[in-house]
Amino acid sequence: MQAVCMGGRSAYQTLVKRHLKSISHYAYRLLGNPKDTQDITQEVFLRLWTNAQKWNSDKSKLTTWLHRIAHNLCIDYLRKHGRMQTQDSFDDEVGDSPSNNGESADGKSDETILVRTAISALPENQRSALSLCHYQGFSNKEAAAIMNISVKALESAIARAKRNLRETLAETHKD
Amino acid sequence: MTLEKFTRIIDLYGCESARWPQSLLAECESFVTNNIEARTLLNQQYQVDESMEKLEVPDFPGLETRVLNQSLPKHNRSFFEEAMSWLIPDEYFGKQVWRPAIAACIPLVFGIVLGNYFSFGIDIEDDGFQYWDDELVMLSLTDYTEANF
Repeated sequence: MQAVCMGGRSAYQTLVKRHLKSISHYAYRLLGNPKDTQDITQEVFLRLWTNAQKWNSDKSKLTTWLHRIAHNLCIDYLRKHGRMQTQDSFDDEVGDSPSNNGESADGKSDETILVRTAISALPENQRSALSLCHYQGFSNKEAAAIMNISVKALESAIARAKRNLRETLAETHKD
Repeated sequence: MTLEKFTRIIDLYGCESARWPQSLLAECESFVTNNIEARTLLNQQYQVDESMEKLEVPDFPGLETRVLNQSLPKHNRSFFEEAMSWLIPDEYFGKQVWRPAIAACIPLVFGIVLGNYFSFGIDIEDDGFQYWDDELVMLSLTDYTEANF
């Protein structure tokens, strides 16, 4: 990271290769469409280059810091562009699925698509909390730091997200 | 144990009983065995977790190249940072080890050159003996008899 501060391109390349997958996956789980995911991921690494000297190794791990940048960019993006784009991309997938055989064109079960739709319908903070803790493997403390909220608030967001998903699934089974 | 409390535990720690708090483990297991709503809740959460595991993120094949090839602004660095970057390059340091070696030699060479031309106010005492031969002659003429003591 010190090398990146000094303008070291090879160090920058190493960091990109190490963190690209994790950051792009997180952005995709928040935004839900590949195009915006790629734009945001590119922006995250540009910020890494320009703001490298702002990272404090005593305060947070690099991956936490990068996820925080990604989180802020995604939230800004969603607030500017609304949630419809995320919703649309998932709705397309749902629309493609035949409802009678339980499998979509790409072989995904209706239930998986349903959960995906339900996740995309969650408020941003719940979706983000779920992504960070369930998929990205962060501890509650780290996830709370990324989202800039208290651990209690994070736990509450995760609980509400899980409850929402269970309810959505339960309602579908009733139908 | 109440359903609400059990729901909270499921939300916080997940479906696997191994992750539930040890102090509440027995109570939770007993609650699941005896309460149909708890079992339904647990099954629902299993289904949600399974479906979540199946959600995949697509590959972004050109993304790495795109990020690596994006034009990066030049860092505004001080002279000291530039010098340090030249001295200790982050790439191929093994091959560039001559840089710090040369830098270490610079003060030495500078000192030799300066010392050769300037005395810096340090006078070397000259007592008039230009040659060792003269000094030996003078020593030989000195009277070391006891009378002088």
